[in-house]
Amino acid sequence: LSSVPLQILFYVNGIYYIFYFLATLAMIVYKSQVFSYPDDFLAPDLTLLFIMAILEVLRLYLGSKGNLTEEEAPLGLSLVITVGSVILSVYFLVWQTYVLKADVIINAVLLFTYGLESVLQVIAIAAFVS
Amino acid sequence: PPETRAATRARPRSGPAPVTDVAKLCVCDLLVAQCDVNCCCDPDCSAADFSLFTTCSVPVVTGDSRFCSQKAAIYSLDVEANPPERIFKLIDQVNPSVFCIHTTNYKQALSFSSPEMPTSENFDQLLKQFGSASFSAEPDSWNMNTDAQNPSDTNETYRYKYGVPIQTVDAFLRLPSPVVSSWCSDANPAGFLLNQATKCIRSLSVEKCGNIEAVSMLFYINSSILAVNITVHSIVVQSLNGMRTLLNGSDVLRLPMILDELCINIVLGVSYHITYTDAGEIIEAAASFVLGAINKEARSIQQSFEISFTQVNTKPVPLSGNPGYVVGLPVRAGFRPQGYPFPVEILFAALVLSTNKYSQLTILQSTSNQDCLAAQGARTPILFGYNMISGCKLRITAAMKCQPLTQTLLDLLKGQSFPEFVASFGNSQAQDVLDWVPITHLHISEQRIYNIFQSSCQIPVSLEMEVKWTKYGSLVNPQARIVNVTATITTTTLKQLPSGRERTIPITSSVVFTDISSPAEPGYKAWPTINAKLPFDFFFPFV
Repeated sequence: LSSVPLQILFYVNGIYYIFYFLATLAMIVYKSQVFSYPDDFLAPDLTLLFIMAILEVLRLYLGSKGNLTEEEAPLGLSLVITVGSVILSVYFLVWQTYVLKADVIINAVLLFTYGLESVLQVIAIAAFVS
Repeated sequence: PPETRAATRARPRSGPAPVTDVAKLCVCDLLVAQCDVNCCCDPDCSAADFSLFTTCSVPVVTGDSRFCSQKAAIYSLDVEANPPERIFKLIDQVNPSVFCIHTTNYKQALSFSSPEMPTSENFDQLLKQFGSASFSAEPDSWNMNTDAQNPSDTNETYRYKYGVPIQTVDAFLRLPSPVVSSWCSDANPAGFLLNQATKCIRSLSVEKCGNIEAVSMLFYINSSILAVNITVHSIVVQSLNGMRTLLNGSDVLRLPMILDELCINIVLGVSYHITYTDAGEIIEAAASFVLGAINKEARSIQQSFEISFTQVNTKPVPLSGNPGYVVGLPVRAGFRPQGYPFPVEILFAALVLSTNKYSQLTILQSTSNQDCLAAQGARTPILFGYNMISGCKLRITAAMKCQPLTQTLLDLLKGQSFPEFVASFGNSQAQDVLDWVPITHLHISEQRIYNIFQSSCQIPVSLEMEVKWTKYGSLVNPQARIVNVTATITTTTLKQLPSGRERTIPITSSVVFTDISSPAEPGYKAWPTINAKLPFDFFFPFV
């Protein structure tokens, strides 16, 4: 049986991620104007942000499909991608060139969401397998 | 010991480490080991000093305020207490904005980095990194020995170019000349190969005749032209009434002196004569003086100066133009010396030139009595561009024989030594044989047809010379060049006269200059053509 909380969480995650992506992008632009942000440091940050966006789309699609069709394979794949997204989120939280307080807040929220999703995905996989 | 020296050399020195502890940072501490006034953070101030302050000039010392939380040192004066004392507080300042910097992983972001100190190891790398237009090294390809290439050649003879002032030991060889007015200016230098002749007025009186050095011979021969001394060639003494006498011994220096209310031995004219080689070095210099005298009433004298240059081992021949002939100057002519074969291209001997004007191209000069035989050979040189005609009347008596008369008339018309060649340019040198034009001789006999069977005695009655010249060189400055010279002798028959009768026939000689230069034609550029050709394989499958 599909997990309804997981689906709700996926939906909310999608909307929140759009906001997260735009906010992070705007803050990188702001940082490059206000602080000294050389190109050597700006390029990795932007690249990782776009990679994170792609991974997020993939992750949400696979997870949602797996949950609705009650198959464990897409869900498992989505779980694996979640690990990558978590690492990237930690990068934006700790290892970015400039970490503003706003960055800390939105990344913390994102990490909390990832954590909750992971737990629910494990439970759903367990339910589908058996 | 060398090891420690090498070690100290290898370790790059760096500047002083930046102070980042806000408790120790004090920007108003300017005086070392002394208390700065109103500087609450100065560690040199004691409590007694603090009691004298009125306010704190630096109330707070913080780092970058964009950080979310940072340390701040707050200095204030407590004026309530007696005596006033300084309060120092170290607090954490919090930035309430949501965009405050939480952490930064970019170390140089918000503080100045201490620059790398240049040492002998990293200097080249730093130069490459920071060197630009204002601080850079010259390329290695530059030759560092530029002063080894031009050794100073003051010991060698100085070579001159045309127009360059002739240097003497102290300054330049002076040729006084009038500058703005007619008064002499002594600052005119003589230029190499510039033949100059100047006249100017100098103010002079008998009282001052010994003081003015420009009227003394010493002034003109004192300075030597570098390695060459100026020798005195001749001295001519001019008396008060203008009569000039050449002195015999010219090695005595005659200085101005006062004699019987006259001032004698003052220089009225100097003529320099410089001999140079074809490399441009001056090897000889001679000066000829004209010395005169002035009396009490004289207030000024006129001095004349001239300078002329002669190449060594040549006889000075006045040029008639450089290079083209100048109208009014004599046409230069010459003849080949005896003993040389036909004029074939090479191996010409040098043409013998003569400065004697009577051996140049000359024309019979008309005299007042118009009798040819009494003319005594007066001739005048032919001047370029001036057509001349002259003549005389010949009285023929019955006793005159044909042959001697012919010879006499030929001598009269042509002169004693009629040249064979004429210089095509005004400055043709004798050794450039191709610059000389041979004179073509023509013979026209005036013969009446019905006298053809009579044994005739032809006597020359006229010599017409036609000099054809052309414009040579550039259109804006054409030079006259003689191309062709034709001497035409016209003879006529001498009829035997009955004895006792006389006849007078005119003898003429003339010279005509004809310009045969072709007029300049405008050159038009060709119309542009349309060059439309199809490529050869345009109709490929069919052709």
